[in-house]
Amino acid sequence: MTGIKDTNVHFHQELEDLERKVLSMVERAEQMVEMAVQSVITSDLDLAERVVTLDDGIDSTYLEVHQDWTSLMARNQPMGSDLRRMTTLIQLNATFERMGDQCVNIAKIAQLNEGLPRVERICEQIREMGDLVRPMIRTAVEAYLRRDLDEARLLPAMDHPVDRLNANMYKETVAVRDNPELLEWATKMLMASRALERVGDQAVDFGEQTAYLITGERAEFDEDGLAQALNEDTDN
Amino acid sequence: MTNETSTETRVDRVIEERKTTDPQTQVESDSATGSVPGVIETKDMSVYYGDFRAVADVSLDFGRNEISALIGPSGCGKSTVLRSLNRMNDLVATARTEGQVHYHGQNIYAEGVDPVEVRRTIGMVFQKPNPFPKSIYDNIAWGAKINGFRGNKSEMEDLVHEALVGAALWDEVKDKLGDSGYSLSGGQQQRLCIARAIAVKPDVILMDEPCSSLDPIATLRIEELMLELKENYSIIIVTHNMQQAARVSDKTAFFNVKLDDSGMRTGRLVEYSPTEQLFTSPREKDTEDYITGRFG
Repeated sequence: MTGIKDTNVHFHQELEDLERKVLSMVERAEQMVEMAVQSVITSDLDLAERVVTLDDGIDSTYLEVHQDWTSLMARNQPMGSDLRRMTTLIQLNATFERMGDQCVNIAKIAQLNEGLPRVERICEQIREMGDLVRPMIRTAVEAYLRRDLDEARLLPAMDHPVDRLNANMYKETVAVRDNPELLEWATKMLMASRALERVGDQAVDFGEQTAYLITGERAEFDEDGLAQALNEDTDN
Repeated sequence: MTNETSTETRVDRVIEERKTTDPQTQVESDSATGSVPGVIETKDMSVYYGDFRAVADVSLDFGRNEISALIGPSGCGKSTVLRSLNRMNDLVATARTEGQVHYHGQNIYAEGVDPVEVRRTIGMVFQKPNPFPKSIYDNIAWGAKINGFRGNKSEMEDLVHEALVGAALWDEVKDKLGDSGYSLSGGQQQRLCIARAIAVKPDVILMDEPCSSLDPIATLRIEELMLELKENYSIIIVTHNMQQAARVSDKTAFFNVKLDDSGMRTGRLVEYSPTEQLFTSPREKDTEDYITGRFG
């Protein structure tokens, strides 16, 4: 950057502040995934309540980001990588807000399942899904921060086992169909599994946003993490 | 549990680190501009004022019925390029153009080409509205007459009407065609100049910062007019306003100032791309730096 003078210092500072604010949401969401999973498999209602409280914080940041973003756009009409960063941030704002909502869904299942019998195998599977999803969020954050397209492309492969475990939950639920109380509990755990699977998808979406930020091309990752529209550029 | 404090510190740290490294993203986009067949094409065009080379080696292809914008910092040569496209620079004694400028395949700088005819076919609207010190009607009629219009009174009235309608000015002036052109507002005067330009039936209209002396509302009216005019004309506009280029143009050429081998500051074409691409994912780092306000 030698010799380059930033004549847009105030805007770039505000953009950076906005980015920090948006990323603070995903940091919180990652923490909430762990707390929500823990609450649902141990029936820890206090922990579940803390998840709901943390989500209130995410919702409030979501609204602040919207306001800041609108003001920045109106005042600056950014272009080039600044414009891509702005469009990425507003999309990530929605993605992270939904991640928080999924965690609340899981925490609420902890409350709904209170007092019901449980199946350890299913609890272990939910724990495993949580253990798979959190590194996905971490990977997506790192890929974004370092503008690392290769790292972003790891996400679909990381999501495969989450999808597989979610699909297996249906079988586990059917397996307890003869016990009404267990079936009630397992059906709700199926919803928790589905919520975790969605968080995994949202982490992949985060990676796709990062790919757009880097390349300027909108594309969805395919199963191998190679976005269709990006293949030609990167394989050459 | 995830340690919130430490992860936020990580975010802060990486953002700080990024500031000290080059944050530019690697954009590898299709360089095709998707042009429709060109109306004006420059080949290795350089323009000199005496010994000073103002702009060097410009090769551009301007599309038919398109709006092409020329942007760049002061002194980058964009207005010089524009004025070379209809030989307006011939009027500057020290100016000299090298290379070629083709209009529908014909070199307008070739021997025997009449520069007045070139300027009639490739008209120009200037930065500051410059109506003649005559009535609104005569601003159109007189301009047409000196450019060879030989019709009768009725045909002239039709021409004035057509030009004023074409410049979206008719409704505002139809009851005061005898008033002085100077009695109009700045925005109306500029549209009068556009009417005068289109009255001589040009093929291409060059616009040199046509809105720089106008307020935002008058600016938007001119921009709307440009979008209407491109149905029938090809338009090339120099603008300092990047948002204006982004709003109205189909393709944008970005010029920058570079030091040449002898240390002279010379304007160079950096990138010519579809406007949407240039303002969202430019191919060149220089373009990216300029449109994001990083400049040096």
